[in-house]
Amino acid sequence: MKVFWTVVALVGALAVQSALSLIVPGWARVFDPFLLVVVYCGLKGGETHGMLAGAAAGWAQDVAFGGRVLGLAGLSKVLVGFGVGRAGTRFQLTEPGARLLVIVLAVLLDALTLRQLAAAFDVTTGALTVPGLALRALVNAGMGLPLFALVERRRWRWSGA
Amino acid sequence: MARGLATNKSRLLLAGLVLGHLVAISKQVDVGDGATLFERSLFAVFSPLQGLISGGVDGVGGTWSSYVSLRGVREENKQLRDRLAVTELLLQQRTHLAHEAQRLRELLQLRGVLPLETLVAEVIARDGVPWFRTVTLNKGSRHGLALNSPVISPNGVVGRVIRLGPEAAVVQLLLDQESGIGVRIERSRVTGVVAGQVDSAGQLTGDLQMKYVPMLADVVEGDLVIASGLDRIYPPGLVVGRVRQVKLGSGVSKEILVAPSARFDRLEEVLVVRTPLPDVTATETVQ
Repeated sequence: MKVFWTVVALVGALAVQSALSLIVPGWARVFDPFLLVVVYCGLKGGETHGMLAGAAAGWAQDVAFGGRVLGLAGLSKVLVGFGVGRAGTRFQLTEPGARLLVIVLAVLLDALTLRQLAAAFDVTTGALTVPGLALRALVNAGMGLPLFALVERRRWRWSGA
Repeated sequence: MARGLATNKSRLLLAGLVLGHLVAISKQVDVGDGATLFERSLFAVFSPLQGLISGGVDGVGGTWSSYVSLRGVREENKQLRDRLAVTELLLQQRTHLAHEAQRLRELLQLRGVLPLETLVAEVIARDGVPWFRTVTLNKGSRHGLALNSPVISPNGVVGRVIRLGPEAAVVQLLLDQESGIGVRIERSRVTGVVAGQVDSAGQLTGDLQMKYVPMLADVVEGDLVIASGLDRIYPPGLVVGRVRQVKLGSGVSKEILVAPSARFDRLEEVLVVRTPLPDVTATETVQ
């Protein structure tokens, strides 16, 4: 069941990012629904779930929106999934404040890892400035927190019923 | 004990995933074009979904537009009836002009100004990440597209196909820092290479940068930049842009900014060139 919902979430993320890229391309480059799926999977499912979701999300993003070399986003999101999953099993990350911090750190880790990997494999990428990174972190945190709350409320209702 | 086993398992999984990714990435870097069967299969899986989403967005947009246009339709209808009488008189004259324009267009086509076989493709997705500048088209290998096929718009060169599926293709825009096109200044015939330009903070600016132009080369602001064909990808003569700024660089080359002719933010339909450039091989005979 966990795998099914992860796949559904990833297909949803692909749909959202594809639609955004057509309607508001500027915001599509800032908002990263794939990253939110990975963070949520890491928080709720631990390291393994986070890493596998990260690999799937990263490859989907690479194939649909990536450049010449595939796998850069895949690897960066595997590391994000591992990091968030590890943190999720060791710390109490259910409060909005803690989750905000996790999303911000995940955005930074994802961006920095991808940039370093791209440099290591001689792939030139567009850079993100500090304000750009801050905006990316804020937007994803601003969207992620209510989304996480919404998903958990639904899960709670279904499990209650 | 169980926790320790789980930790070891996840560490092994992490190592496996990292290693797998590194191998996959390295393999593509070696191949260059990255046109592996694996990549084609993956792209074939994702591209139909993007096509569906594009259709959905168009559908919702169309429904919304229809709703908006219904508002005040009665008043508009009355005005249209009044204007119809006038329009009918103009119609005969316009019909005559249209026929004339059609004849002229056919004459121009006969001259074969652009002797290239092209295919019209629709943009179904744009760049969704800040790292790369790409668009996805609704035509793929099944329609005759190939890797590196040049993509143009009525305004100028757009980019080239870097990833191909049966029903879709990803195009690397000229704005991408990894792109490159051999160009020539039309007036002075000075050659160079144009790629996406970044500012001092590393951000893509939306302009292009013309590189490898010697300091003494004759280039001035406003010069038309066209494809040279020396890269063996883009047919020569296609318009790339206009020189926006010329500065003396710190090294041996000039710093030249080029404003692209293609309107990348408004791309909806593009032309994909299907005519392959003639293969030129240098041969040398020793007698």
